[in-house]
Amino acid sequence: MTEETRTRIPIKEDFFTVPSSPQVPPKFLGTRCKECDEYFFPRRAICAKCNSQNTVDVEMSSRGTLYSYTFVHIPMFGSSAEEHKEGYGVGQVDLPEGPRLQMPLAGKQADFRVGLTVQAELSTLRRDDAGNDVVTVHFRPVEEKP
Amino acid sequence: MKNVAVLGVGMHPFGVWHDSPNADMSLVAGMEALNDAGLTFPDIQAAYVGYILGWTMSGVRVMKEFGLTGIPIQHVENASATGSAAFREACLAVESGRCDVAMALGFDKMTTSISTAPRDGAMENMEDLILPAAFFAMWATRRMHERGTKPEHLAKIAAKNLNYGARNPNSQRQPKEIITPEKVLASRMVAWPLTTMMSCPIGDGAACAIVGSVDLAKKLQPDRPVIRVTASSLQSERYERGHIFQGPVVGPPQMTRDTSTEAYEEAGIGPEDLDLVQVHDAFAIEELLYYELLGLCKEGEAEAAIERGDFEPGGRIPVSTDGGLIARGHPGGPTGLAQIWETVLQLRGEAEDRQVDNARIGLCHMMGGGSVCAIHILKRD
Repeated sequence: MTEETRTRIPIKEDFFTVPSSPQVPPKFLGTRCKECDEYFFPRRAICAKCNSQNTVDVEMSSRGTLYSYTFVHIPMFGSSAEEHKEGYGVGQVDLPEGPRLQMPLAGKQADFRVGLTVQAELSTLRRDDAGNDVVTVHFRPVEEKP
Repeated sequence: MKNVAVLGVGMHPFGVWHDSPNADMSLVAGMEALNDAGLTFPDIQAAYVGYILGWTMSGVRVMKEFGLTGIPIQHVENASATGSAAFREACLAVESGRCDVAMALGFDKMTTSISTAPRDGAMENMEDLILPAAFFAMWATRRMHERGTKPEHLAKIAAKNLNYGARNPNSQRQPKEIITPEKVLASRMVAWPLTTMMSCPIGDGAACAIVGSVDLAKKLQPDRPVIRVTASSLQSERYERGHIFQGPVVGPPQMTRDTSTEAYEEAGIGPEDLDLVQVHDAFAIEELLYYELLGLCKEGEAEAAIERGDFEPGGRIPVSTDGGLIARGHPGGPTGLAQIWETVLQLRGEAEDRQVDNARIGLCHMMGGGSVCAIHILKRD
């Protein structure tokens, strides 16, 4: 299989989309409460704010704001990717819909700052026995638009 | 709580004990607690046994080493707060009048139970990729952003706890020389800004506390001050915007404030009445935040209080006097009971080199997986 045609499978189903085109960013699979309009990630059946069961599945933004971050100085569990060998960034990211996510960050410590705009991308962790790329999501800091 | 006293405490030192099974360590801790109380095992009317890692019914199997007396034995698990939760159940059993004497026993062997190999199999959660220390490191980054906290503040907390550990014979880390904040900062980086010396080690150990009615405490040890349990609070999270649902180790700090408020109310005291405090300092940033959340200093003033040495030996209110999780260690199941051991010794005036002068009221705080908070307040009559 070539780089282009290899299938990408998510490390965990029902957390994010895996678009067929590598140019399209993943979207987060969440829940909106139809009673109080609170959003959640990951998906849940009952609203954690008002306890309503009147909830609906939604796709949420792939861009957010960095609330906090760190850089871990050991290899990432479950990853054989070269970029995770010396460690990896981790961020807490606020999506515009409200939920705060906790995900790996692409880049080095000096690239991170509280308040940065960050963009979700698919990140390949390893290849499985069937030759598929196992992917998760990481956020990468992007230039803020004025 | 009106009618619960700690009758006896015991510990197997925390450390790396590859050749000591849980049953052996538990027997050391349990027999020490029984002897301390002036009781034998047939006097125990109920047992609450806590461990995080181990097969089902491990607690009953360990208890058989003491004897088979037909008493109710209940397994308790609440992550890092396991020992605290077992202690709480024992206290509630006595307070309710259901029994006169109950034992809380905690044990774990983290060093043989945790695999450091990459977890390549099926993932339970997306965040399983991430080292748990990262979640606490992000508390630190955010605090630094909001309050101008420096890594030096975290290093000063860790150095204090490591130097306290040197004075505790049951501590896993007993440094042979004075630890300076510079040395803490120079230790290996785990998850920025947290270094190895700002983080608790994994270890093995056991701890035990026996509780009973106040009358029984007076009868068993008439020459010893009665150490009452005046409050026991256990809370879980409340939803607020910004709550992170991925993973259990990322609970909101507010939970500690809410749980301590409940505990102070039950004990009829305020934080200003405390003489010493033990907290869940798995990482130094936690201890910093708990100073404020427990009301030991005002919000936003933790850094200034650290610089003044408020929580050091001889300071305004010594914290983590047995070394805390950072030095004394954190095997899991027994950790919360080690806090009880330390506080009881302090309140009796038996804490030797690390004794807090005229200690009368002590608070023990544990977090379980960031998702539950357990607080006990102990008071010498």
